[in-house]
Amino acid sequence: MEYIGIQAQKRRNDFRSMLLLFMFPCLVLGMVYIFFLLLAWLGFIEEAETEGHFWLSVNSVYLNSVPYVLGVVFVWFTIAYFLNTYIIKVSTGATTLERKKNKRVYNLVENLCMSQGMKIPKINIINDESLNAFASGINERTYTVTLSNGIIDRLKDEELEAVIAHELSHIRNHDVHLLIVSIVFVGVFSMVAQLAFSTISSLSGGSSKKKNDNSDGAVMLVLFLAIIVALIGLLLATLMRFAISRKREYLADAGAAEMTKNPLALASALSKIAKDPNIEAVTREDVAQLFIQHPGNKAEGFIGNLGGIFATHPPIEKRIRILEQF
Amino acid sequence: MTTLLICLGVILLLGIWVMTLYNRLVKLRNNRENAFADIDVQLKQRHDLIPQLVTVVKGYATHEKDTLDRVVAARNGAINARTINDKIVAENALSSALAGLRVTLEAYPDLKANQNFLQLQEEISDVENKLAAVRRYFNSATKEFNNAVETFPSNIFAGMFGFKKEMMFDLGGQRQTMDKAPEINF
Repeated sequence: MEYIGIQAQKRRNDFRSMLLLFMFPCLVLGMVYIFFLLLAWLGFIEEAETEGHFWLSVNSVYLNSVPYVLGVVFVWFTIAYFLNTYIIKVSTGATTLERKKNKRVYNLVENLCMSQGMKIPKINIINDESLNAFASGINERTYTVTLSNGIIDRLKDEELEAVIAHELSHIRNHDVHLLIVSIVFVGVFSMVAQLAFSTISSLSGGSSKKKNDNSDGAVMLVLFLAIIVALIGLLLATLMRFAISRKREYLADAGAAEMTKNPLALASALSKIAKDPNIEAVTREDVAQLFIQHPGNKAEGFIGNLGGIFATHPPIEKRIRILEQF
Repeated sequence: MTTLLICLGVILLLGIWVMTLYNRLVKLRNNRENAFADIDVQLKQRHDLIPQLVTVVKGYATHEKDTLDRVVAARNGAINARTINDKIVAENALSSALAGLRVTLEAYPDLKANQNFLQLQEEISDVENKLAAVRRYFNSATKEFNNAVETFPSNIFAGMFGFKKEMMFDLGGQRQTMDKAPEINF
């Protein structure tokens, strides 16, 4: 049962990753087109003022900009591809775990990987006494499992092994790959949204100082930016729904139980984690998705407010109950 | 004319089908052999640790020459084994010999306090754990291969192409570590 589940999950994740990667430039191009349309409508494009030339001039300006837009997208992709592990490492405060001083952890990870024929990922540590762990990376070279100090010290060998097996399952299913792709993807739009948001606030603050003949234009600009923000918000919501799937967690739990042949160990580990999963360094909701249990306080900000329906992890009691029935 | 074309078409399709089956068998067999290569790495480490173990034990357990000789003989047998199946048999023999040695060492508390011995014990334990892990992967690769060889329809062609069911690496569920004696039931 698990075998079929894992293969199907892998294929589904790969398909969604490709879809996201393909949608990204399309969406950016689409939004840029709307941007130029609105600019023309607001009167910022001179050739468009003359009758009958509206669409023609908008289209020509747009087509001229397309290579630049695609260039920016390409640069963003390249940066994100090479730097994503670094960015996550920095935003969570993780450092590489020294092999010599942590033979116990390295042995656990190595043995698990060997029993699955998997290549061993990098191992990082977060300096936090709470218990939590996550997996990141987009290809075999960059896959990383990060553990907190607390989880290494406070779990028994078999429990820590179960947690590591859970993270390795995520890597094996390509869950991690899809998640990182969507984080990068969503991250760009989130940035743009926040940019638009702050532009609106500064514009509405400064509108009283503008001269009269410009005030109409300013109001329109604010409105247009507001529309963009709303659209982006909708987009973000859909995208995150796309990538989030609570089923993933259940499948990773099952994968871990199969790997270790010891489901009760994971159940006991989860109950210990549930008491203290809060990792202080993590404030972004999208990064929080990566952890084995949601790291405490829900993040503030644009995405965080869309909250409840997008709970990234299933209730821990249910996960424990399912494992005990295994 | 058309019947001829149809026949040719059918033969072609059959040919492609057989080719897919054959390729799958090859891939699974190679996967198994590759998995055994990983086991080989651990086995070699075990082979390297044994002479050191024998040297340390000789200093303390002077009357256990027979047991030690058995271990050394089993080790040499394992090193000389060539095919996967021969190696499996030889390594199982080595594991039994080591188990026998461990039983006799229970009577030498001085040895158990020796630093060198303790370190060797830990290293052998490490290797045994890793051996257990790679054996699991090897066994699941063997299972996949055996499934392909025995299930219909590939079983029709497996015999023709020379693929047969292979053995698992089974130590009977007992892990031979130097610090725990096996249970002996009389």
